[in-house]
Amino acid sequence: MSALLAAEESIPHLARIADQLRQVTVEIRSPGGSGVGAGILWAPDLVVTNAHVARGSCVGVGLADERWIEAHLVVADRRADLALFRIPRCGVAAALGDSDTLRVGALVVALGHPLGLRRTLTAGVVHALGPARPGGRRFIHADVRLAPGNSGGPLADTAGQVVGMNTMIAGGLALAIPINDVGRFVASATASTT
Amino acid sequence: MTTVMDLSNALAGAVERVSGWMFAVHGRPRLPSTGVQWRTGLVVTANHTVEHDREVTLTGHDGRSFAASVAGRDPSLDIAVLRAVVDGVSAADVADDGDVRVGHLVMALGAGPRASAGIVSALDVGRGRHAAGDLLAVDLTLYPGFSGGPLVDVRGRVIGITTSGASRHLQCAVRATAVTRLVEHVIRGGRIPRAYLGVGTQPVELPHPLRERLGRAQQTAIIVVHVKSDSPAAAAGLIIGDVIVSIDGHAITEPEDLVAALQPDRVGAAVTMTILRGGEPRDLQVTVGERPSRG
Repeated sequence: MSALLAAEESIPHLARIADQLRQVTVEIRSPGGSGVGAGILWAPDLVVTNAHVARGSCVGVGLADERWIEAHLVVADRRADLALFRIPRCGVAAALGDSDTLRVGALVVALGHPLGLRRTLTAGVVHALGPARPGGRRFIHADVRLAPGNSGGPLADTAGQVVGMNTMIAGGLALAIPINDVGRFVASATASTT
Repeated sequence: MTTVMDLSNALAGAVERVSGWMFAVHGRPRLPSTGVQWRTGLVVTANHTVEHDREVTLTGHDGRSFAASVAGRDPSLDIAVLRAVVDGVSAADVADDGDVRVGHLVMALGAGPRASAGIVSALDVGRGRHAAGDLLAVDLTLYPGFSGGPLVDVRGRVIGITTSGASRHLQCAVRATAVTRLVEHVIRGGRIPRAYLGVGTQPVELPHPLRERLGRAQQTAIIVVHVKSDSPAAAAGLIIGDVIVSIDGHAITEPEDLVAALQPDRVGAAVTMTILRGGEPRDLQVTVGERPSRG
């Protein structure tokens, strides 16, 4: 969104947010898969992503410092389109926001690897909050331009806190799973495995 | 550091403020459009989203439904004004002082609320069907169902009505001043009058020697191919074959220019029409009439 980027010239705030987000946005390569997806460093030893991005029990994870490490599946929920992977400790974890307090019109940024363009930032506003179709699950609908390769990556607010996981594109809109839903998934996954 | 966050909060606050004045407009099958209560009891929406001979229902942001009826239409600007008793819903804070500038951050809103953000990309896109200054172009996405919804500035004031029906190529909004003008027609006269001459026209090229002789730059004008009897055009003495080159000094280069020159507030006014008859220019005084209503 050009206006936002114009404001950025005087206040390099978004650039700082982008740097933070780059550190916690990983690349994900599934064995045998050709494309690349994104993931979020949830904890120093945990990566969360979309289940449709990470197929298999062992995937490659590319960190911001260009290292590639192996990640092992903890649990995947295909219906929720979420998957949790364990990695060797790498020292950084995403700052998480509260997706329940997100408001329509608020500025948000997405980080991912659209069409393979690594760690790319796009900006926009929250378009709507709620299900994509009647009776469906709740999504954050964002007026942010995404492309294949953004899936599994973070949607963040202007404080740099991750509020959603970009999951699909529908009607030109980014649909992101609210981060509180992701948090519940991770909590139940780690509770059942420890 | 906090400026971008302040901006984010301002935008979210603007959405909350404006959504209280907005309705989902059910005036066509399937996809509802959006409307804004411009003045108490008068809701503005996009004309193309309200079908003729159809019951119209409004749904407020609190889920309440209201019956509405069409009070006036302006197809050239794609605006319809609906009449509805909507208790408990206040009228919009409309900013029609014209301080909108190219580059201003704006949002288009749809019922829900739903939001889309971008910038004002051009002012005065009025060409063809539209009077200059009535439309502005915006660089944002108008999602399905947004038509008739408000274009909002960062302070949460309504500066226009967005519509996908005004232009095929641009994302456009009808400026608040133009909308207010139409709404005031409804308040004063209970309807939006539609100007009427009673002519059928086609574009025609002005040959170069003729342009030189007349000292006119325009390459085209419109030729009268039909004159309705008992019409303002017939009363003014216009006949088939006359070439209309200007109205009140504004060049008429295509039939759409005639529509733009005949805004609702011209009804009853006398205009000076410059025509060519037999290659010779002459001025006719035409009193603009009102289009007879359907049925």
